[in-house]
Amino acid sequence: MSELLTTLLQDARVWQGHRHRTTTQPAETTGFQALDNQLGGLGWPRGALSECLLDASGIGELQLVMPLMKRMTEAGKTVFWLNPPHTPYAPALAREGVGLDNLVVIHTEDTSDFLWTLENCLRSPVTGLVLAWPGKLATRDVRRLQLASEAGQNVCVLFRERQQAEQNSPAALRLELMPDAQQGLKVNVLKRRGSWSGQRCTLAMAHRADIRVQEAPRVVQGPWPGATR
Amino acid sequence: MLWLYLHFPHLLLDHVRRSQPIENALVIVEGTGQHVLQACPLAQDAGIQPGMRLKTALGLAPELHILQADQQQQAQLLEEQARWLYHYVAHLTPAPPDGLWAEVSSLQRLYGGLAAIWQTVEQALAEHQLTAWAALGHTPLAARLLARAGKGECSADKGHITHALAQLPLTAAEFDKTDCTRLNRLGLETLGDVFALPQKELARRLSPELLATVQKIQGTRPDPRAPWQPPHRFRQRAGFIQEVEHTQGLLFALQRILAELEEDLCWRQQDTDTLLLVLQHRHQEPTRLRLRTTGPEHRAETFMKLIRLKLDQQPLSAPVVSLVLVVRRFISREAPGGQDLLGETQDLNEAWHTLISRLQARLGEQALTQLSPRPDHRPEFAWSAGEVKRAKNPGEVNPQALPRRPLWLLPGPCPLTETPVAWFSGPERISGGWWDGQRVQRDYYIAQLPGGQLAWVFRDPQNAWFVHGWFG
Repeated sequence: MSELLTTLLQDARVWQGHRHRTTTQPAETTGFQALDNQLGGLGWPRGALSECLLDASGIGELQLVMPLMKRMTEAGKTVFWLNPPHTPYAPALAREGVGLDNLVVIHTEDTSDFLWTLENCLRSPVTGLVLAWPGKLATRDVRRLQLASEAGQNVCVLFRERQQAEQNSPAALRLELMPDAQQGLKVNVLKRRGSWSGQRCTLAMAHRADIRVQEAPRVVQGPWPGATR
Repeated sequence: MLWLYLHFPHLLLDHVRRSQPIENALVIVEGTGQHVLQACPLAQDAGIQPGMRLKTALGLAPELHILQADQQQQAQLLEEQARWLYHYVAHLTPAPPDGLWAEVSSLQRLYGGLAAIWQTVEQALAEHQLTAWAALGHTPLAARLLARAGKGECSADKGHITHALAQLPLTAAEFDKTDCTRLNRLGLETLGDVFALPQKELARRLSPELLATVQKIQGTRPDPRAPWQPPHRFRQRAGFIQEVEHTQGLLFALQRILAELEEDLCWRQQDTDTLLLVLQHRHQEPTRLRLRTTGPEHRAETFMKLIRLKLDQQPLSAPVVSLVLVVRRFISREAPGGQDLLGETQDLNEAWHTLISRLQARLGEQALTQLSPRPDHRPEFAWSAGEVKRAKNPGEVNPQALPRRPLWLLPGPCPLTETPVAWFSGPERISGGWWDGQRVQRDYYIAQLPGGQLAWVFRDPQNAWFVHGWFG
């Protein structure tokens, strides 16, 4: 019994408020030093769910997973995109250095197919990373996914709406993503396994559109009638 | 030369019984449906004998299942048996409708003696749940006659075989009917009596054909048998006595067929990636299911999982009378190397194919796509979605040569409804498509919307504004 307890404590499965200890759970670095520091030097947890909560696409959410995606495709692992809300644009991905041969896009029709597919992807040893846009999910379903992800050793990132930040979730890592000044991405850690949450950091994402940060917007006079002049 | 003959006294019966467990007695009737041809042990217990009138048989066992014999099906069944027996024997000749010759003298060294061959064949027959009477002979006909009479023994001793032959009654010798009657009238009862007659007289008084047959039995006249070559396809059929309404009933029969497919593929050292499953219904067009695996595969278990998934997705539209599994595409198997160029082990490769096949079986093949860039200026044509394939060599794309593009492309341009708060780059004019009627002339900008999103917007010649992508 005591052995079981020790394991639970070491894996940080039991949350201890008074003690802040580094855990040994497997993880993949995010590729952003600032974010890694906020996550206790770990990054994306492997064999567990991660959630990114955001309002709308286009704030740099894909850039956040880009270093990991690049690493996985280079290592020959398959990256699955499950029900992406728009078309992942192949020329842009190729420009970022993602191996398109190791990238598979899947569209499912209903929730049961979605869950089944995600479970199968998570359990497979060929998978490196799963990016999924589940839409609405019941807590029960998230729990089922969390169990499936524990069966494998893969990183799974769910992109969900920001309203669901209130809903509790068994995911190991929950990040709230918001746009910031200078096209950056504000990351707010809502939950992370084994430690306090509440860390914040801002990542520079302006390079995703080739914008130099220090510079003021280059095209000051927009062609838009009545735009910011 | 030493020949082994296998006589299948009730092949059709055996075949039906192993495809579906049946509680009631079963008989096979001839084409006109008048007489019983074959009766299962249960029927024989009830007193039904082959040759009996069907009416009498029904009187003995009212619950009797009746199946009509079908010439074509019998021939196919026999070929199926030849197919698996070919794993053990090189020189094989089918003797339709119910027998097989195998030349065994050349196999004695391989198996280590006649007894070992005999045992191997008997074991294989038991595995396939078949009843067969086997016999050895120095000529094909001698082996056949002994087998059909059920007098076969595992002995290559010539004297012994000749003695057994001589004991056979004339009716078992497969002579012409008139010849048989005439021999009987001469007072001859057994084959031995005929052997004892002077050959010249036999040909002169009876017929030259009779002499030829006798000489073929004795081995003094050549009787060549052309070796059979297995056709290069796999086709197995299972018929059901009781119509199958649930998927589970099909799986039972499929399990055996798939196990035979695996064995067959193993022997050929080949794989396949396409199975065709045809379900026949009584009053409907047959259902044809095509099962595809993404990679070469030979394991019955994997095929079974895929079939199960497919059947779960597509419930049976009507009760099934019989099913046929056909494989026509064969791929020669690659020798498993330790690691390939990408440092990928065989296991991972296999796991990849398993996963993708599973997903495709449930979601449909078009649900999974792989993306690739295409040389075109127009954004909506600059990419394509294709079939999922295992990557072998990384593409030679120079990332720096590609222009800056958003990671998200909208399925179609959306009207821009908000005034952007900042403009970053542009205009980038994209004009083209005059060659295929999908003309495009747009000025693209990168702009930030009030919500903080970076959008790829464009203006068309009519001065209307659209969002075409997001810098995600």
